[in-house]
Amino acid sequence: MDPTVVTTAALQSQLPEWTALGPVIVLGLTGLLLLTIDAIWPKRNANTTYAIVSAAGAIIALGITVWYLVAGTGQETHGGAITLFSEAIVVDGMALFFTAIFTSVAALVIVASHDYLKGHENSAEFYSLLMFATTGMALMAVSNSLVTVFVSLEMASLPSYALVGFLKKDRGSVEASLKYFLIGALSSAVFLFGISLIYAVTGSLLLTEISAQFADGGVAGFAGVAGIGVLMIAGGFAYKTASVPFHFWAPEAYEGAPAPVSAFLSSASKAAGFVVAFRVFAEAFMPLLEVTPAIDWALAFAVLAVLTMVVGNFAAATQENVKRMLAYSSIGHAGYALIGLAALTAGGPHNGDVMGAAMAHLLIYGFMNTGAFLFIAMVEYWGVGRTFEDYAGLSQKAPLACVAMAVFMFSLAGLPVFGGFFSKYALFASAVSAGFWWLAAVGAVTSALSLYYYSRVVKAIWIEEPNGNLDVIESKPTGLYAAIIFAAVATVLLLPGFPIALETAEAAASALFA
Amino acid sequence: MVPPEYYLLLSAAVFCIGLFGVLTRKNALYFLMSVELMLNAANINLIAFSLFWGNMTGQTFALFVIALAAAEVAIGIGIILVLYRNFGTVSVTDATTMRW
Repeated sequence: MDPTVVTTAALQSQLPEWTALGPVIVLGLTGLLLLTIDAIWPKRNANTTYAIVSAAGAIIALGITVWYLVAGTGQETHGGAITLFSEAIVVDGMALFFTAIFTSVAALVIVASHDYLKGHENSAEFYSLLMFATTGMALMAVSNSLVTVFVSLEMASLPSYALVGFLKKDRGSVEASLKYFLIGALSSAVFLFGISLIYAVTGSLLLTEISAQFADGGVAGFAGVAGIGVLMIAGGFAYKTASVPFHFWAPEAYEGAPAPVSAFLSSASKAAGFVVAFRVFAEAFMPLLEVTPAIDWALAFAVLAVLTMVVGNFAAATQENVKRMLAYSSIGHAGYALIGLAALTAGGPHNGDVMGAAMAHLLIYGFMNTGAFLFIAMVEYWGVGRTFEDYAGLSQKAPLACVAMAVFMFSLAGLPVFGGFFSKYALFASAVSAGFWWLAAVGAVTSALSLYYYSRVVKAIWIEEPNGNLDVIESKPTGLYAAIIFAAVATVLLLPGFPIALETAEAAASALFA
Repeated sequence: MVPPEYYLLLSAAVFCIGLFGVLTRKNALYFLMSVELMLNAANINLIAFSLFWGNMTGQTFALFVIALAAAEVAIGIGIILVLYRNFGTVSVTDATTMRW
């Protein structure tokens, strides 16, 4: 360990325990600060101020998170997970890893929104809703009880509904918001009923106590109730991660929402769904795989993973609208990450590897998918159309952004020279070594299919001739440009940096199974 | 004491009534009411089993759920209001600018 790491680690260990929640607190306070500024100096055109304040909040939270990750806060090497509020909150490697994803995506989206929101009213509300949603997600990452899981999930969802409907005079945005809300309200009710059934069987809502109860007495006599409860909880996560069978909202919400919000939801919100799913199932429901009668939720996730990969990728291949294509592709990626749950086995030696690979995939996906949606945001900002034909010849107007878009597309498809290849490779390899070769096979085949529709975008922007609708492009939105370029740089840098990311993720995931 | 199975049956019945409402009603306000029924079905379980297990966890969580349900309705009504302004209706099936 080099000396600087030792100093930062020592400095961190002198802080009181509650500071482990630092990133969450900073995010929440930033949201409140934005509302305060708006209430005290209600100026109509303070968009820049709000963007600076919220970006600063997100970047400070990201900085604290990365510092804790490096210093080893809550990780195996430094005394294990930190629990707060009677174990309802836990700060460990996994929580910090995911908080890093949420805060980086939020920072990128804020920088990009600055241009997108020009000329819109209520920009303070937009940024504060974004900060509150990020706070909810960061809280999801540290939830260690079904109470905090449900409350934080709602804390992340409620601002998201409002964000999707932010363009309140745009019919598409309102319709998207309505559909997102209806399916969200329904699935959170299903999720809550599942929680109440688990409480009925175990008499506790803390993940560790539920796990102990299941391992101790099994589900004697209540197997049916417990099984339905687990399935309903899985349904709630399927909604949050936009997986089959609760994926219907995703294409609508992503297509109708302002594009920066689509970027935020499809990257950060999906990762947030996965972090709670990982923690709840790995921590609380693991014993259910081995008790008699066993409740084989891993099999349920395997079926969902296959369906999600197939549905997402095939539906994406048939789209004419680029944003909708990306929405379906993000459903397909949820299927890949679901392998991280599907390939778990009771006491399996590869559990940490599989889940770690899924986490690393979500990290890289966070950058490449956000970048791709922000490119769409820039095209929307220019007022060019939405279909593949409208994108023809964009590289003549914006070569740099189009290089970045090509990087995102090839990385999402998993071509060998980009970060997306390594994360998919690690994921499929770990699934094979855990004995789930058929999951890896479906993943590989659907990835090959995805290359078709991703390369259609690249072909349109780089090879096809412009068909005359690009004259509307006048300005160069600096913020959007910067965010897209930064996301591309991160996607490329995660190529040499992937071993570090994977190692951190696997260590964090293994700690859950210890 | 009433056996716990009865509570499970009651809550399952309330949940199913809510689900039926969600699936059949087109009016967005009815939808909200049906979701409330589903949430309260979960509350019945939480409170009944709080008594059964002799701890306060379930009752406390039920209070949290009531607060969250209120927040959800608040944002839901807001969305339904802009829906009405844009489409002139509160029917969930009329807003179809995008295909499924």
